Amino acid sequence: MVAIFPGGSGLPGIVECDLDGFLDRFFQEAALALKLGLVAGAVLYQLSPLLTVGLPVPAFLLSEAQRERHLNRLLSHPIYLLRQACFLLKTVAGLCWGSHPSVRALYALPPYPPDPGSCRST
Amino acid sequence: MSHHAYQPKGPRFEAEADYVVVGSGAGGAMAAVTLARAGQQVAIVEAGPWREPKDYPSSAYGALRDLFDEYGTTVTMGRALWPVVQARVVGGTTVINSAIAVRTPSDVFDRWQREFDIPRAELADSVWRHEDRVERELCVEEVPAGSLGRSNELALLGGKRLEYENHVMRRYTKHCDGSGQCLQGCKAGKKQSTNLNYVPETLSRGGHVLSSAPVERVVFEGTRAIGVLGHFVDPLHRKRGAEFFVRAKKGVVIAASATHSPALLQRSGLRHPALGKFFRAHPGTGVFGVYDQPVDMNIGATQGWASIHYRDSPGLKLETLAIPPEMVAGRLSGGGHTLMARVKEFRHLAMWVCAVRAESHGTVKNGFGNRPSVRYTLDRADMEKLRTGLHLVAKTHFAAGAKRVIPGIQGLPYDLGPDQLHVLENAPLDPRAYVAILSHLFGGCVMGKDERTSVCDPNGRVHGYQGLLVADASVIPSNLGVNPQHTIMGLAGHFMERQVA
Repeated sequence: MVAIFPGGSGLPGIVECDLDGFLDRFFQEAALALKLGLVAGAVLYQLSPLLTVGLPVPAFLLSEAQRERHLNRLLSHPIYLLRQACFLLKTVAGLCWGSHPSVRALYALPPYPPDPGSCRST
Repeated sequence: MSHHAYQPKGPRFEAEADYVVVGSGAGGAMAAVTLARAGQQVAIVEAGPWREPKDYPSSAYGALRDLFDEYGTTVTMGRALWPVVQARVVGGTTVINSAIAVRTPSDVFDRWQREFDIPRAELADSVWRHEDRVERELCVEEVPAGSLGRSNELALLGGKRLEYENHVMRRYTKHCDGSGQCLQGCKAGKKQSTNLNYVPETLSRGGHVLSSAPVERVVFEGTRAIGVLGHFVDPLHRKRGAEFFVRAKKGVVIAASATHSPALLQRSGLRHPALGKFFRAHPGTGVFGVYDQPVDMNIGATQGWASIHYRDSPGLKLETLAIPPEMVAGRLSGGGHTLMARVKEFRHLAMWVCAVRAESHGTVKNGFGNRPSVRYTLDRADMEKLRTGLHLVAKTHFAAGAKRVIPGIQGLPYDLGPDQLHVLENAPLDPRAYVAILSHLFGGCVMGKDERTSVCDPNGRVHGYQGLLVADASVIPSNLGVNPQHTIMGLAGHFMERQVA
C-alpha cells in the first residue's frame, strides 16, 4: 500500500494517512472474502517481481524505482487474475488514502465526520 | 406495532402477521405499505440493520461496511469479475442509489406481452398508476438548478452541443441540496429512500419490522408458504444471534433482490425450471473528462444528468456519476509516483458513465454461506454497445470542453486527446479489459404465463404454490433500458393490489 500511494506531487503518502489505524479497523470489521483478497493481493505483490521485472526477490528488496516498475507492470499485467488481485489491494488502499482529511483538504473538500456505525436498536 | 433489531442467542423469536415481506427495498417496502394500507398486518423481515440518516456513514469505506451487501464483494463469475452493487440495510438499495425516477417505457410492456404473454393493457395502466402515486408520495422532482454542480452542468452543455436528447434527472428527493453523498446514504435526509417513508408507515399501521434478520428459508406446509425462518445477525460483528420464525397467515412476499430472491427460493426447496435463470443487468462503466477549470464533481448532485437518446439503438443510457476521491484513487490506472501525479488532477475530473441495455443473461444460484452466486458474461454484441457508449461519453466530454479523457481500459493509452477518439472505436471487446459494475439487476424469478419459462405469473404469484409471491426486480423478464426503481415499485404495488382485491 505504501508503494501504491507513496506521496508526492504535493500530496501526502498513505503512511501519513493513518494507514495502521485503517488496517486495524479493516481487519476487525471487513468481510472475510475481502480480508482474504487483500492478503492474497499483498502476498502476490511481494512474491511476483520475477514475473514483472525479472528479479527473483521479494518486492521489499527492490529499489524504489524497481518497485514502482514492478507495481505498474502488475497492475496492467496481461493475466487478468494477477491484475485483479493487485487492483483489489489498490482499491482498499485508496479507501484509506482518499478519505483522509489531509487529502480531502487538498481537494477543497471538508473532512468526513466519523462513520458512526450505529443503527436503531428498538 | 414493533421493531425488532438484532437479538443475541437465546429463545427463538416468534411473530405472526397476515403477510410476511422479505426485504425492505423498492419492491419490499412498496409491497408492505400497499398491503398495510389495505388493512393487512405486515411483518417486514430485512437482512440488514435499520439506519437513520444520522447513522449513515460519510466515507466510501463506511458505506461498504454499513450499507452494502457483504462489503460489495459479490462479483459476477464469468470472463470478468464485475461487482454487483446492492445494499443490505432497511430501505435496501434505495438508501445507496441516486434515487432516479424514470417511468416504465411503453415498449417494455409491449415486449413483455410479445415474449412472455403478459397482458399489456391492464398491467401497463396499473403500473403507471402506481408510479404516479409514488411520484406524489416520494416527491419526485428535477434536480434543482442550484444543486446540479459543475459536472452535471458540463454534461448538459456537452449534450446540447451534440444535439442529442439529454435532460436533468428527476429523482425521489425533497429539495436536494447537492451534498454529493447519495452513495453513502443522504445524511441530509433529502433522498426519499424507503426506510424514511414506506417502512415506518407500515410499522405505524400495526406492522412489525425485523432488522438484521436474514431469512434462511421459506417454510411450507405442502405447497403453501406459511412463514420464514432465519437467525438474527449482529450488524457489527456479524455473529449469529437468536433464531426467528415469522408465521404468515395469508402469504409470504419475497422481495430480497434479483440475486437474493432466487437464491432464497432455491434453498427453500423450490425446484422450478426457470428459477435462477434469465438474470440480466445494465452493466456500466465510465470515462473521466479532464477540464482546465476545477469541476469538483463531489459538489452537487451525485447524478443529475442523463440521456436516453441511445436507449433503443444501440441500447445505452448515459449519466453523470460523481465518485469520491477514495474511489477515484482506485479507479485511475497505475500506482506509485505515476498514480500520485494522476490523482493530483482530481478536482479537474468529471466522471460520466454509460449503462448498457444488455441482452446477455446469466444465472443465480444459492452459493456458499447462503450467498448468491452470479454467473454472467456480456456477449460480443453487448460489448460492442459498451464500447460505443464509452465513445459517446468521451465525445460528450470533448463537446463540453474537456481537454483530455481517461477511458480506463486495459491496453489503451492512459488518456486520449480530442483527435484520438478513434482509439475508443477500436477498444478491446474482452470484458476483462474493463472496470465495470452491475447496478441495475433483473430476473432470476421472472414472471410470465408459461410455467416452463417463468417462476411467477403476471401477478407475482409463484407457479404451483399458494401464498407465495415475488415482488422485486427478480420478476422483471427483460432489461428496461432505464433505471428500474420506479418499475419495481409499480409492479410491487400492482401485485399487492391484486392480492388483496
